[in-house]
Amino acid sequence: MLRASAVAELAGVPTASLCCEGFVGQARSTSEGLGFPNLQVARVPGHVDVQSADDLRANVLAVTVGDVIRCLTEPVAAVTLGRDPGPREIVFSGSFEEVNRFFLENRWSDGLPIVPPTTEKIAEFLAFTDRDPDEVLGRLLPDNREATIWNIAVNGVMAGCRPEYMPVLIAAVEAMADPVYGVEHSGNTPGAETLIVLNGPIARDLGFNYEQGALRDGFQPNTTIGRFWRLYLRNVAGFLPHHNDKGTFGGTWRVVLAENEEVLRRIGWPTVAGDMGAPERANAVTISRFTGSNVVASVFGDTAEKCLPYLADALVSHTTWEVIFTVGMSTGMYRPMLILSPVIAETIAKSGMSKADVQRWLFDHARMPAERFERYISGWTNLIPGKRSLLELSRLGKAPRAYGASIDPQRLVPIVGKPEDFVIAVSGDPLRSNCYVLVHNGILGFPTMKQVTLPADWQDQLVRAS
Amino acid sequence: MTSNAYQVVWPRSAKSVSVRPLAPRLDSLEGRTIGFVWDYLFRGDEIWPVLKEALAARFPGMRFVDYETFGSTHGEAEHQVLDGMPKLIGELKIDAVVSGMGC
Repeated sequence: MLRASAVAELAGVPTASLCCEGFVGQARSTSEGLGFPNLQVARVPGHVDVQSADDLRANVLAVTVGDVIRCLTEPVAAVTLGRDPGPREIVFSGSFEEVNRFFLENRWSDGLPIVPPTTEKIAEFLAFTDRDPDEVLGRLLPDNREATIWNIAVNGVMAGCRPEYMPVLIAAVEAMADPVYGVEHSGNTPGAETLIVLNGPIARDLGFNYEQGALRDGFQPNTTIGRFWRLYLRNVAGFLPHHNDKGTFGGTWRVVLAENEEVLRRIGWPTVAGDMGAPERANAVTISRFTGSNVVASVFGDTAEKCLPYLADALVSHTTWEVIFTVGMSTGMYRPMLILSPVIAETIAKSGMSKADVQRWLFDHARMPAERFERYISGWTNLIPGKRSLLELSRLGKAPRAYGASIDPQRLVPIVGKPEDFVIAVSGDPLRSNCYVLVHNGILGFPTMKQVTLPADWQDQLVRAS
Repeated sequence: MTSNAYQVVWPRSAKSVSVRPLAPRLDSLEGRTIGFVWDYLFRGDEIWPVLKEALAARFPGMRFVDYETFGSTHGEAEHQVLDGMPKLIGELKIDAVVSGMGC
C-alpha cells in the first residue's frame, strides 16, 4: 500500500495512504525506507475486520474522509534524517556486558547475548570468502538498506556463528535479496518464519545436524545460522517488532534444516536444492517462509500405499487460509513442505515410488471440499474480496479450470497448483516413523534457492579452522 | 572503558535511498481527479464508495478512477501494477491518489 503511494508521489501526485489505526506506526517506519519519511496517512479507526457495515461507514465518514482531505491538500513539512554511522566506524567501546546493553538499547539485538562485532572477529569471517567486503548483494526493504558482505560478517559474528559458516550466510542473504522471495513481506501480520534448507557436502563439512533433533536448537551451525537470519532481518532489512514487524504473534527463528543426503542417494531421490534446479551434490540453501508446522506422529505402514494417506491428510488438515496463495491472492504459489524421516522415505521408496511419484500421489489425494476452500478465502476470512465461489472464479479465469469442474460444493479440489508444489525433504531421526509438515506463506516468502560459493582455499581454511 | 573493552562496529548499513520531497499538495479537491489504488484487502471495496460519496458531496466536479483500472497492488502482479502506475496517472490525468489498505 505504501509502496504504491511512493510510486505515485514520485510520479508527482499527492497521496493519502489508508491505514487501520493500529498500523499508523508501521506506516511511518516503512515510509522512511521508501525515501518519503513523511508519506501522509489517513486513519481508519479500529480494525475493519470486526466492524459492521454501518460502523465502518460511520468511522470512515467521521475520521478517514477528513484525513484524506488533509493528506491531499495541506502542506507537509520537509523531513531530514539523522546521519548513520559508516560500516567500519567504531560505535561503542566497552566490556562484554556494556556492549550487550548498548546493542539492546539500540534494538540491534534479539535479547540474547551477542558476540561483540569487533573488526578482528569480522576479519576472521571475511577470510572465508573471496568477495569484496563492500560488495552490495541487494537492497532490503522495508528499510531499504544495503546487504553487503561486510554486514553479513558483522551479524554472523553477533549471532555466534563460526567464521567458516560465512559462505552459507552469504548464500542465505543472496536468497533473501532475491525479489522472488519477497523479503519486504516479512513483517506481515501472520508472522511467518523462514526455514533455511541446506544441501550439499558442506553440511557434513561444517557439522550440521541432520539426524535426530534436526529442527532442535543445540547444534551450533543449525542454530546460529537460524539466529543470524533473524538478526539480519532486524538490523539490515529493518524488521523490528512494534515497528515494521507487525506479526500478531510471531515466532522464534527456525534452526537450519540440513537434509540427510546419504539416505537420499541410497533411495535415488533428488534433494530440495536439486528440485529447485541446483546441480547434483551442489552446496545450496533454499529459503521459504512458513506460517506454521506440526509433527505427523507415528506413521504406520510397511508400504507407500499405507503411509501416504496419513501424510496427505496432514497436508490438508494443516492448510487453512493459506489456500489464498493457490487461488485468490496468487495462483498456484502455495508450496507446503513435508519432511520425511529417513525410515519413512525408505519405506515409500521401497514400494517403487520416486519423489515425483509421491508428489503426484499427494496432488491427487491431498484435496479438500470446495466449500471449505471457499470459506478460507472469503467466508471465515475476507482475504479475497467479492465473496465469489470457486466456480465463479474459475469461469472468470481467476482460478484454474479444475476448481470449476462441477457445482457440487463437496467436490474435492487440490490445495496446490501442481504436484511439484509439494516440497519434500528427508531429515530427522533415521529410525523413527515421524514426519513433519510446514504450512507455507505463498508469495510472501516464496521458495528461493542459491548455491553456496566457497573460497578458493576452502579445504585448507577448514583444516586451519578445525 | 575497562581493560577488556570491545570496540564494536554498527550492525546496520547505509540506506540505499535518499529522502525525497513529497509531491506538491493540491489547493483544493474541487474539479480534481482522484485514483484509488488498492491491495484488494481489508474492505477497500467498501471504503472507497463511502469516500467517493463524501468527497463528491463536498467538492463539486470531482472525478474518480476506480481500483479495477490499476489492478491489485499486493499479490503476484504487484511489481507489474506498480511499474504501470505512473503511465496510468499521466494518461488518465489523475491529480491525486488514495492508496489502501494498511491493516
